[in-house]
Amino acid sequence: MRGSTPRHPRNTVRRVEQRWSVEQVAAVAPNAAAVASAEPLAVPRRWASTGCDARAVWGKCLGSGAEPYDTMVDHSLADGTGAAWRCSCPSRRRPCKHALALLLLWVRGGVPEAAPPPAVVAWITGRTPHQVVEPVETTDTTETGDDSPPAPPPPTDRGDLDRARDERVARMRAGLTELDRWLADRMRTGLADPALARYSTWDALAARLVDAQAGALANRVRRLAGLVGASPGWHADVLAELGLLHLLAQAGLRLGELPDGLADRAATAVGWQVRHADVLAGVPDTDDWFVAGRSDVREDRIEVRRVWLRGVATGEWAMVLSFAAYQQSLDDSFTVGAVVRADFHRYPGRSLRVLVSRTKVVEPVETTDTPKVVEPVETTETIAAEVATTVAGACDAIGRAVAAEPWLERYPAIIRATPTFADGRWVLTDATGSLALAGEVDGRATLLAASAGAPVAITVEWTPRGVVPLAVHLADRTLDIGPRADPSFVGAA
Amino acid sequence: MNAPSESAAEAWAELVTAALLGTDRRPVPDLPAGALADMVADGVHTDPADRMLAAVAAMAVARRSAFVPLPPAASLQPPEPDPRPIIPAVAAATWREIVAEWPVLEDEWTLAVVHGGWQLAADVLVATLARHRTDPVRLARVGRAAGPLAAWVAAHEPALAATGRRAVPPGAVEALPDLPVPPELAELLAVDAHTFVGALVPRVEVATPSLKPVFVNLLARCRPEVLADTAAALATQPFGLALALADLCRLRSRMLDELRPR
Repeated sequence: MRGSTPRHPRNTVRRVEQRWSVEQVAAVAPNAAAVASAEPLAVPRRWASTGCDARAVWGKCLGSGAEPYDTMVDHSLADGTGAAWRCSCPSRRRPCKHALALLLLWVRGGVPEAAPPPAVVAWITGRTPHQVVEPVETTDTTETGDDSPPAPPPPTDRGDLDRARDERVARMRAGLTELDRWLADRMRTGLADPALARYSTWDALAARLVDAQAGALANRVRRLAGLVGASPGWHADVLAELGLLHLLAQAGLRLGELPDGLADRAATAVGWQVRHADVLAGVPDTDDWFVAGRSDVREDRIEVRRVWLRGVATGEWAMVLSFAAYQQSLDDSFTVGAVVRADFHRYPGRSLRVLVSRTKVVEPVETTDTPKVVEPVETTETIAAEVATTVAGACDAIGRAVAAEPWLERYPAIIRATPTFADGRWVLTDATGSLALAGEVDGRATLLAASAGAPVAITVEWTPRGVVPLAVHLADRTLDIGPRADPSFVGAA
Repeated sequence: MNAPSESAAEAWAELVTAALLGTDRRPVPDLPAGALADMVADGVHTDPADRMLAAVAAMAVARRSAFVPLPPAASLQPPEPDPRPIIPAVAAATWREIVAEWPVLEDEWTLAVVHGGWQLAADVLVATLARHRTDPVRLARVGRAAGPLAAWVAAHEPALAATGRRAVPPGAVEALPDLPVPPELAELLAVDAHTFVGALVPRVEVATPSLKPVFVNLLARCRPEVLADTAAALATQPFGLALALADLCRLRSRMLDELRPR
């Protein structure tokens, strides 16, 4: 056994994300309404003199008043200081909608890199006099329209960076320890405790995990809250999830003792963020990727889209994740049933999740305005027919994946089976067995109609509560039947 | 200590029961003898709650990893076969566009499916069943377009079955519903393309937006032969109403092309 010192993060603070995700912006918002009210302001025409660097993002929000609001955000979660915001608006809510809008604009790449103006430098310096402000690569002030003098050269003390990394690790470890203590308390008092029926119980735990920078665990806790009372057997579902949270907490506390790949995947599952640049710096998996299915899931204030792709040559699965807060658009660049030639960069630990660095549609060329239906293409039909497995084969593959990564919540498979109704529930069946179907009526009914009682090739997404049908691969077309985001929540693509 | 459970399923049920009450009131059940029980016992858990957590985690992982299928189930009795070909994928996409942008065309689209000798695709069938379950005429039209599959799906998915049992008037399924068109425009319903464009475009040029439904009704019921020229003429006009009507013309023309009888 190796030493108990956490091996993750392995190198330096540079491993952590510097630009946030939309999900993180929503997480710091006081509520969903705040994100919604920020959204109309998150457009370049509402801002002037914007700029960002490795530590902060700033700008002047052009509101209805005579004077613009001076807004600045310290986004250096990665530095261990925690985010902070400052705005000259009269709102008492923090972060205000201007700070959230500025963050959203920055997340979408709408804020150019620039040298911070003196007011920002003074604020940042005043907040944390010992923190490092990393040098920015772009200091051309003409890009921002900011005529303030360039900032003095920032310090680059590596020791400070390491200290910040250590602080973050310590904070996360403290959060995991507290989580495990909370779980033990639940075991002590029992699942019948009325406190578990209150969302605030879970939300408070999730908030503490966010503070500990274990965002992925916080999201998991919020999903778990939705299981309470959701079905007659919810106690068993909740108990299993509590057990897995315990497993993740323990894994997070013992990253140094885990094998390399597992440690990376555990770190990601706990919430350790990885810079996109670091992921993209890895060796890509280049292949023709069959877009096998798509599913949209609402998680708290965010709509999450998973697109499952299968390498035509390697047979390996990959998953592209995208997020949308209220009235934002989900990534629609992959059409279910298509084949794309792409370079995929996997997250650490040969994760299912990938980032895409280069794509080219191989087959089919989309011939309709809607992504729902794909024209007949022999290639995709052949792919689905060739890789479709039996129900037992799918169970085997899913079981192996879960054994390798026990906290896995979703895993894809392509099955040739028939939908049928047995013992009071819908299942997919073949000669080797049956799988319980989960998901919405529309998807299931379309699957039923497409099969007309005969076996069909189907992409499904395993979840602990059954398999969700995502796509039906017919001889002449692919039907995208996965759960779709509520159009009143997400904006048009 | 409790006697070890006989099976994993029993052990899990006991863990759930104990977790429901809490370890303050119920002892932690022992897992069945084997690797899981050994693994949990290997941990130093002096506190019952910690031991319970370890047991729950181990069992949860084991249950999910040992993912085995349910027994095979009998297939459903399939619907009567329908020899008609399924509508092209592009026609299904056009239907979605019609529903989203120009629902006035939907009745004609469904009749074009029937008259073209096509069968509804599965995704369109389910969407139309859900959309028209309270409208007996349109539902009957969908039934005609989808064949035996429509009743079969509705029988298995009650959420898609018809609501109420209102009678369908004779001939209503085959006929397009009347759309109000003023007499001075109604005379254009039977003219050639040149006359149609010459009479329509000047009227659209001076029309207010409130007259849009009138022109929409006219273009939804005019002879298909005039659509291409009308779309081309309207598309050159620099105002929104003309451009919208040009879009309607193009969509109707495309829909009829896609569903031309085989």
